[in-house]
Amino acid sequence: MKAPFSEYLNGISGGLKELVSLLSEEYDYVSILAADSAGLNIRISKHAKNVSDRTMMAERGIVIRTAKNGFYSEYALNDFHPEDVKETYRKVTESFAQQYAVLQSCNAKIYETPVLSDEPLTLFVEKETEQLPETADTKELIAKLSALSEKGMSLSEYMIDCIVTGQSTHVCKMFLSKNRDMRQSYVFSEATVVPVVSKDGNTQNAYEGVSGLCGPELFDQLADHLEHAVHTAEELLSAERIEPGEYEVIASPEVSGLIAHEAFGHGVEMDMFVKNRALGAKYIDQRVGSDLVTMHEGALCAQNVTSYAFDDEGTLAGDVTEIENGILRTGICDALSAVRLGTKPTGNGKRENFEHKVYTRMTNTIFDSGNDTLEDMIASVKYGFLLEGMESGMEDPKHWGIQCIIKAGREIRAGKFTGKLFAPIIMTGYVPDLLGNITMVSKDREVFGTGGCGKGYKEWVKVADGGPYLKTKARLG
Amino acid sequence: MMIEKLIEILKASAADDWQITDTETEGWEFYFIAHKLDQNRVKNTDHVSLTVYKRSEDGQFIGSASAEVKQGSSEEEMKKLVDSLCERAQLVRNRNYELHAFREAEPFGNRPASVAETAADYISMMEEIRETPTEDINSHEIFVSKKDERLITSTGIDIHQAFMTSMMEAVINARDEDHEIELYRMYRSGTCDKEQITKDIYETMRCGHDRLNAKKTPNLVKCPAVFRGESALTLASYFLEKIDAALVFRGMSDWKKGEPYARDIKGDRVTLKALRYLENSPSNRVYDAEGAPVRDLTLIEDGVVREYTGNRMFSSYIGNEDSFIVTNWEVSGGTMSEEEIRCGSYLEAAEFSDFQADALTGDFFGEIRLAWYHDGNKVTPVSGGSVSGNLNELVKEMRMSREMNTQGSARVPVLIRLEGVTVTGSED
Repeated sequence: MKAPFSEYLNGISGGLKELVSLLSEEYDYVSILAADSAGLNIRISKHAKNVSDRTMMAERGIVIRTAKNGFYSEYALNDFHPEDVKETYRKVTESFAQQYAVLQSCNAKIYETPVLSDEPLTLFVEKETEQLPETADTKELIAKLSALSEKGMSLSEYMIDCIVTGQSTHVCKMFLSKNRDMRQSYVFSEATVVPVVSKDGNTQNAYEGVSGLCGPELFDQLADHLEHAVHTAEELLSAERIEPGEYEVIASPEVSGLIAHEAFGHGVEMDMFVKNRALGAKYIDQRVGSDLVTMHEGALCAQNVTSYAFDDEGTLAGDVTEIENGILRTGICDALSAVRLGTKPTGNGKRENFEHKVYTRMTNTIFDSGNDTLEDMIASVKYGFLLEGMESGMEDPKHWGIQCIIKAGREIRAGKFTGKLFAPIIMTGYVPDLLGNITMVSKDREVFGTGGCGKGYKEWVKVADGGPYLKTKARLG
Repeated sequence: MMIEKLIEILKASAADDWQITDTETEGWEFYFIAHKLDQNRVKNTDHVSLTVYKRSEDGQFIGSASAEVKQGSSEEEMKKLVDSLCERAQLVRNRNYELHAFREAEPFGNRPASVAETAADYISMMEEIRETPTEDINSHEIFVSKKDERLITSTGIDIHQAFMTSMMEAVINARDEDHEIELYRMYRSGTCDKEQITKDIYETMRCGHDRLNAKKTPNLVKCPAVFRGESALTLASYFLEKIDAALVFRGMSDWKKGEPYARDIKGDRVTLKALRYLENSPSNRVYDAEGAPVRDLTLIEDGVVREYTGNRMFSSYIGNEDSFIVTNWEVSGGTMSEEEIRCGSYLEAAEFSDFQADALTGDFFGEIRLAWYHDGNKVTPVSGGSVSGNLNELVKEMRMSREMNTQGSARVPVLIRLEGVTVTGSED
């Protein structure tokens, strides 16, 4: 079925259009993003179970963007009354006047920016889903996830908990301006299993998940990952510490995704170009990786948790080739940064929610596949590691440093696994070296969307990333 | 009006217990690129969060379900929501516990500052920063909020709390003829702490100069490491996390009341306290998020665990009926001065990409953006590579400076030193 667009948003659209008209008498540019996104979040562990409507993107509220004389302002609220538009107009204009008075008293200068384009555009999108989080059979879902957690507990004598979560969000967003009326509705879901094991005071956990552009029916797929997750957690109990150094490595698709995200995801977010915070601006059309490296970014690149039809600034979703055969081609850009840089937006303007500012953000960030098989890649390693499981990463666009915290590395000697596991693994290095050393790329690839992404240490949004197996050299600690 | 109607509906519903948290936020935000305003923002929101509890007939189990009550909801919509939450709560079976009952607590007596004045303080402070041709502010973002929170429960709690929170993200550049680097700072406090933030920005500018001249981190393999700033806070937070009732009950922390947190502690013994009030903290609350009064409490004393802390559910499960969720906290200073901590050959880590410590496994790690390698009388700024180790072992020889500083909601030693830290270099 099609995920139905929000009745609430349809109900207030007339009032919001009236507000756009009123504000347009005073401002050079006015747009409104309104969101009404329902969530379902089920968390099951041995000791505690929770069910709520809170997910990363569940929200209801509106944000108004205005521009006057090159000066952009926003007002976020969640109590809009379409029958009293003038009251909202009064609050918005008075609040901006109060802020402006403070700015004047502090002699603050303005970063003047041209008026955003408002080419006429009408769009109505309802994407397919089997179920909706707001009407799904919660009893059945709780029972399924509880059974999975209980089965996980039975799979190892060292298990102290098996935490299973299922989240689903029905996103409904409406973008209105003088010339645009864009409405979209889609459902994305994710589910994870985290087995926690303990032996002689040594406690470890593993993590596996599934995600997709679909409803809570996705939770069923988690069962396929349970035994592997428990087995990995058990293996971690006897993992050794790696001797620091540079090694041949094969990044699993999950780790490839982390590299893509941290290396040339954040590295080419063009709001950082405006601030002169990204080295990438100076390397367009220059080599940043080996010939085998091609990387795409965009909501249209994959069907996953952030595959929307338009972004939070009313720009249509895109598919950008960031790196083509090792050459950095372009970055991704939100609308305001694009007008400042004299370029076109790529559909990557995203907010944490209606209460937050737009930044250039990633959607699906993915390495293209190659021609090698995983077996050949393993056979080619003299001494090194297959890197598995993603913990976290951190960007450094100004200097192209990279930090990837990886769950574990499987030792490979003379082209064969030795059976030894090393954990945790801290992979660091200089991005062009890491990508420049890629010598083999597997045929298959996967996309992962169970994580979130911050800008610095805040502004959390849903993203997906992935790729094939990649063979390179990396510094591990 | 909506809240009073919601209470009426809840009283007439099948809910056994319930909690409403109504948070009104007035927020002002200013985003600057260099010293020019990128954009200004206003936030004017009212979020009503509702949790409904249902008990099993035999009283052995309790279930809860929660949701946001949307602004402008009609009586019919609220009834439907409450009924749906009651149904969902019935599907959840956790061991029974009772919600907090109301207990009187002394208010702080000070009134929240104004959002406009606090915002103006931040903007003026950043305008007054003395930049140089080689060190300046790349960009900064200012967030100031006044929150008015009302917490109501079926057990007789009905309290109002108002408080200020503020946050500023600053990116600081340093450059020479060939190269430019940046350092990142995030400051959190109640209102604008001009003196401390200004001092730290100038110190960061000096660090920036060192990062410009940094060599590649040598392959030290194992080395004493001195942590400061956010990494010292992260290490101190590990102790607070390990005594969390949820971790203890779930068997993910083996720290026991009345026992030391490690055997054979040869270094400084940690004393950890929950603080009801910390000057200009963004977390000063009379009551915690579940209505329990917050109080001063010693949690770890000279290396011995005295109390666990945490939310009502897990605290109740471990028999800690008088507990609360910690808002502000302090790890007391150690036995050595900063100068004594900085002795011998060691690596002093000032800047990380993202320094983390995992309370579950004890692992800590971070990529080095700037450190100083002290080797005898020679001090070399270094960058690249990483530090890592496991706190389960390394806390035994941990040293903390007597000098302390405040970082957001915590007071912690300025310096923390660990022996035998793995240092992966970035040298070829």
